[in-house]
Amino acid sequence: MTSPHYPDGTVRALLDTELVTEATRTALQARLDAPPYEPQFLEPATYDLLRAVAACLFPQPDRPDAPIELAPGVDQRLAEGRSDGWRYDIMPPDREAYRMGLGGINQTSHALFQQEFRALTPDEQASVLQLLQEGKAPGEAWETVPSDRFFEEMLAELTELYYAHPLAQEEIGYVGMADATGWNRLGLNDLEPREPEAISPQPGL
Amino acid sequence: MPDEEVIEEGVLNPLKQEVQDPLLKQIMQESALEPEPQPAEIPLPTDEVDCLVIGTGAGGAPLLARLAMAGLKIVALEAGPWHDPKTDFATDEKAQEFLFWNDERLSAGKDPVAFGKNNSGTGVGGSTLHYTAYTPRAQPDDLHLNRDFGVGVDWPFGYEELEPYYEELEHFLGISGPTPYPWGPKRGRGYPLAPLPLNGAAQLMERACQQLGIRTSPAANAALSARYYQEGVGWREACTNRGFCQAGCSTGAKASMDVTFLPLAVAHGAEIRPNCFVTEIERDGQGRVTGVVYEHNGVTQRQRCRHLFICAGAVETPRLLLLNELALSSGHVGRNFMAHPGVQVWGTFPEDIRPYKGIPGGLISEDTHRPPDADFAGGYLLQSIGMMPVTFAGQVVRERKLWGAKLREYMRNYNHIAGINILGDCLPHEDNFLELAEEKDARGLPKPRLHFTNHENEIRMNRHAEQLMRRIWETAGATDIWAFPRSAHVIGTARMGLSGDDAVVNPDGRAFDVPNLYICDNSVFPSALSVNPALTIMALSLRTADKFLESEQRRDA
Repeated sequence: MTSPHYPDGTVRALLDTELVTEATRTALQARLDAPPYEPQFLEPATYDLLRAVAACLFPQPDRPDAPIELAPGVDQRLAEGRSDGWRYDIMPPDREAYRMGLGGINQTSHALFQQEFRALTPDEQASVLQLLQEGKAPGEAWETVPSDRFFEEMLAELTELYYAHPLAQEEIGYVGMADATGWNRLGLNDLEPREPEAISPQPGL
Repeated sequence: MPDEEVIEEGVLNPLKQEVQDPLLKQIMQESALEPEPQPAEIPLPTDEVDCLVIGTGAGGAPLLARLAMAGLKIVALEAGPWHDPKTDFATDEKAQEFLFWNDERLSAGKDPVAFGKNNSGTGVGGSTLHYTAYTPRAQPDDLHLNRDFGVGVDWPFGYEELEPYYEELEHFLGISGPTPYPWGPKRGRGYPLAPLPLNGAAQLMERACQQLGIRTSPAANAALSARYYQEGVGWREACTNRGFCQAGCSTGAKASMDVTFLPLAVAHGAEIRPNCFVTEIERDGQGRVTGVVYEHNGVTQRQRCRHLFICAGAVETPRLLLLNELALSSGHVGRNFMAHPGVQVWGTFPEDIRPYKGIPGGLISEDTHRPPDADFAGGYLLQSIGMMPVTFAGQVVRERKLWGAKLREYMRNYNHIAGINILGDCLPHEDNFLELAEEKDARGLPKPRLHFTNHENEIRMNRHAEQLMRRIWETAGATDIWAFPRSAHVIGTARMGLSGDDAVVNPDGRAFDVPNLYICDNSVFPSALSVNPALTIMALSLRTADKFLESEQRRDA
């Protein structure tokens, strides 16, 4: 079963139209125009580790020169002390969890491959993260922070940052932001002209 | 930054250093320079109001309007800001995160409940700013789980007490829905507006249920299917099918409190103060409430009142009571914490669905209200659901554990994925409760910790529902079907009852312990109900106001 592919540029083109409200345009354009980011909370080496983890969780071979950067959103949130309203009681506070969890990723990498995470091959990196997800990762940090919960929380945060980006929304054919005039065609297989059609076979066919 | 390291080290041991929040650290550093304000320094209030309301959501807003219309001098304190949805609200999930109660709650138990965007709100209008607008009535037997099944507790009154308020609300808010409504008792008046159009997910569910012999109907939604004139408010325009109800309606078509009861309240003289976070409830020697202390933009203020209405939701209401050691004699504040079973089932279809369009909860079935083959007490409703990409993607990774190329591949099916979910009753259990944690928030107040574990009844109901929804989605032609177990609304932490031995408030919503304290929100629900709570919270709010006014008249007489 093949997932659909959508053309590039759909959301970017819509942002320049009156189909997008000012508040919506401001939010999305800021992500497209994000300037290079210097970490404010994590140490530079830890920040680079987070970038490497993000690159493993969201490989973007289709954007070799300019991948969607996910680490800035995490570092900025931690620096500002923002929360999403809850956390698992068994987890330490977010700042501590990230610091310990990222340290734990290097501990696991050393235990398995005698090198830190960033020096591993993509397959080795994936196997480290896989063990985290399964709650089976070796490393002292995981005695304090459950690796599976840490992995779940980090993956969920990076995922939400990824799919909030206009380029990721182009990738999945989402144009819900272009709603200033509302939607009239709601039913199955009933598209409005501004809704992009897939350019490859659809699933289940 | 050695100093920071020391403080961060302390995080692991609250005895050494309980400051874990960066904002609190900042506040402490600032207050090390300036002495902390003593109560005596709080400006003395110039006047006393008749009624003070904490919270402007579904619990606070209707009674605010009712009491203002009765001529009382009334003020509402809202923790969050006052928005102008037309200009402030973006069609973007991240940009709209300000709608949620983002102060951290600690989630414990075997099935920790997600808070934040899942079930909390802040801002003038409260959680109604992002409710789905789903407004089914409770059915009469929802109020009598104990009578019918011998579990939980019954409501201290019957459906006939809520019915007139349901009807009033449906017409005041301009609810769009089917007439006649296929389930529950015959109604005196139908919905004022025709149902909203069905989106792709609703059409798929309708088609499959028809084949399976399950009755469905377009659902009742508090969003306008046509222009509507509302007393005290004016014309509200029809819904444009943005499908973004859960992250804020920018057109005013959805009946959130900020475009319905709150302007009505203001028109009748009520004052709404945004950005006011209540920390203390003050009492006199007899234990009567005399006023509250609150933080407004960093300044501590006091407001005196003759009567206090706490309408802060099922987490902040019991938290305030516990912090202030108020109305605790029953031992039930924070207990009986219930969370609606809300398992979702997702599938991938050949059809183009575009799940961001149209009212999310388009189609309903209440055929599962009391399923004949149930091995559990109570029941649930079924609904089709729309979805926004960021929230959906977060659920995908938590439940399906996908990442890397597989995740990106699955998410490219977004336009072909549709979901259904349930909203089911939940029973109270000893080990499901709210307490104050040792850990402090940015204000130096203990964070709430909520323990939640699904017990046999919830587990059986979810299993029954998941099997049925999988069958519906298979019949509809879905592939790659998966279930996302979740708990929705939080309920029951300051419950209503006939006796102060096992309830916090009496059937009128008045605290047994404190004669001039009322509570009105989902915390007073004695049982969780098998429907979304918003309409019933509003009905209780109007009823609480009427009961209060009756008691005042009796006193005057």
